[in-house]
Amino acid sequence: MKKIFLGLITLSIIVFCTGAVISDEHTSGRIDCSECHTCDRPTTKEPCLIVCPRTAAAHNVGKHSLGEAPDSMVLSSLENLYGPVSFDHKQHAEMSEMGFDCATCHHYSPANEIPPCRECHPAEGVSVNLSQPNLKGAYHRQCLSCHREWSHETKCVVCHAPEQLITDGEMTEDPTDIIGISHPVITVPSKEIYTTPYEKGPIVTFYHNEHVDLFDLKCANCHQDENCGYCHHFEKTTPTAKTMEEIHAVCNDCHLKDKCSKCHGLEEKPPFTHDVAGWKLSKYHTDLECRNCHPTGKRISTLNDNCNNCHAGWDQTNFRHTVVGLQLDEIHMELDCGDCHEDLHYHQKPGCDNCHDDDRDYKKEPPGELLSM
Amino acid sequence: MDKSRRKFLSTAAVATASASMLATTGQASERLEHNQEELFSVLVDSTACIGCRKCEYACNKTHELNDNPLSFFEDRSVLQERRRPEHDAFTVVNAYKDARAKEGEAYVKVQCMHCNDPACVSACLVGALSKDRHGPVLYDAWKCIGCRYCMVSCPFQVPAYEYQDAVAPRVRKCNFCTERIHNGERPACVEICPNEALMFGTRKEMLDVAYGRMSANPDKYDKHVYGEHEVGGTSWIYLTHAGFQAAGFPVLDVQSPAEITENIQHGIFKSFLPPLALYGLLGLIMHASGQKEDSEDSKNA
Repeated sequence: MKKIFLGLITLSIIVFCTGAVISDEHTSGRIDCSECHTCDRPTTKEPCLIVCPRTAAAHNVGKHSLGEAPDSMVLSSLENLYGPVSFDHKQHAEMSEMGFDCATCHHYSPANEIPPCRECHPAEGVSVNLSQPNLKGAYHRQCLSCHREWSHETKCVVCHAPEQLITDGEMTEDPTDIIGISHPVITVPSKEIYTTPYEKGPIVTFYHNEHVDLFDLKCANCHQDENCGYCHHFEKTTPTAKTMEEIHAVCNDCHLKDKCSKCHGLEEKPPFTHDVAGWKLSKYHTDLECRNCHPTGKRISTLNDNCNNCHAGWDQTNFRHTVVGLQLDEIHMELDCGDCHEDLHYHQKPGCDNCHDDDRDYKKEPPGELLSM
Repeated sequence: MDKSRRKFLSTAAVATASASMLATTGQASERLEHNQEELFSVLVDSTACIGCRKCEYACNKTHELNDNPLSFFEDRSVLQERRRPEHDAFTVVNAYKDARAKEGEAYVKVQCMHCNDPACVSACLVGALSKDRHGPVLYDAWKCIGCRYCMVSCPFQVPAYEYQDAVAPRVRKCNFCTERIHNGERPACVEICPNEALMFGTRKEMLDVAYGRMSANPDKYDKHVYGEHEVGGTSWIYLTHAGFQAAGFPVLDVQSPAEITENIQHGIFKSFLPPLALYGLLGLIMHASGQKEDSEDSKNA
């Protein structure tokens, strides 16, 4: 009996220690070991790390700006049958904003750096990881997946100059003539008025400028997967007609809970003012960016009129009442906020009923000195 | 007498049947003894194929089939027609409908599948076709008598014939670039494929890669590696999205045609028992009828 007891204690100590050591390391059990390590038992001497960790975290490349990126580059690692490719990086990078950003090509890049393609895709021989294409395959898969969509061609000379022509000096075209050329400026509409078959409100007014400038949406938030082929299609001149569901799906990402009349009306709708949201912005709030108060993601987060939503640090000791244009007198300064502002709803009209029985109005008989604002 | 003869016949029949059964089972276990580590294979990922026909170009050049320049293969209109390998084109690329693919069509490269248990090798009367231990199914024009049984037997209808050659026509088909493989190189089509839609390695590796891709992108691939089990397995294996039938491959049994036919034929003649039984039976009939005649003669006398 005693032996069994001792054995159990030893066992539990071992289990506890092992657990402590593992949890002390970077594994909290949420990441699968095989996401970073190739072998079953990685050690500090032989961590057997996977070259490109394809974790979800490594997908984030949104922190890079176009300014950091090169305008153009010569892709020459694999010259053989064909000459190097002069690649207009700038144009591709600019236009990728309508799709998946830099991540369209620079997939699996960590947030703080853009590793060169050849770091994960070996230039020669067979890939270390067989399911990962080598450099030739990686390049061609990236380029051709879009290029053949609009050219309907798989000709090499679209990107490459034949090596034979280069050596013979018979090149008639300058392969570098595309370098540094930007995509023609796309005119962004400020307002679009659509006529729809919806009888109760055929007119839909869409303020494009508000969504971009005011609500700070990124192109790709609405223009999802609109890569080059969306406009540059070999056969079609206008984008194909969208179904009712497809049209609404773009708006419904944010406006799902809104009524039809939010967008549809019998006539053109006025631009956005904050009054529509039920709260006219006062002097201090008009200069703020929307995101200052509504910080969360693509959707404009709903706030109620409680000042503490943003001004969480304010209480009776540090709030200067003069900012709202009223210097409280000595008597009222001693009161709790909630004595006048019922349930701490500061946006609603304050009441004097808690102390005064004469139905007085705070504006006619203010609890202090009104300041000129 | 009658009783004993009947007994003998039934015993003989049972013995023959069980012998052929034994032969059949014995035969099955002897087949498919390929070492998966040294058997080479190519994985064709049809979802990565863009129909550029560079493989056709490289193949033609390597096997010196014709002098068509690279620009000849830039004609994509031929993809729409479902082509078969020809005497001057060991591999062809065909388009097929695939809703997931960007242009509504995906592409698939067709060539000799290099079966593990090739029907053509089994059908060849003179041993002109043979299976190399590394995978290739090879053809020896010197042995060939031009019966074209290989063409009839092939479940994929691959071998082609030089009908236009009146003097020394040959059966033509992909030889898996056997010289290149033996020199440690990859087949020419695999080497040139710009999109790495073709991958070369041991059969075990390629199956691992195929299943790895399938589990990594479950929506991208049909849950069937074509050629893993078909006709006893093939050296060329395929991944598709729309399914192998859409890609134009036939639905085939796991058992190879060679195994089925050889089991029947070899089974019957195994240990020379059926001929012995047949001749035994004939001898008995002769013996019995001779006796009968003798007795009738003695009666008449």
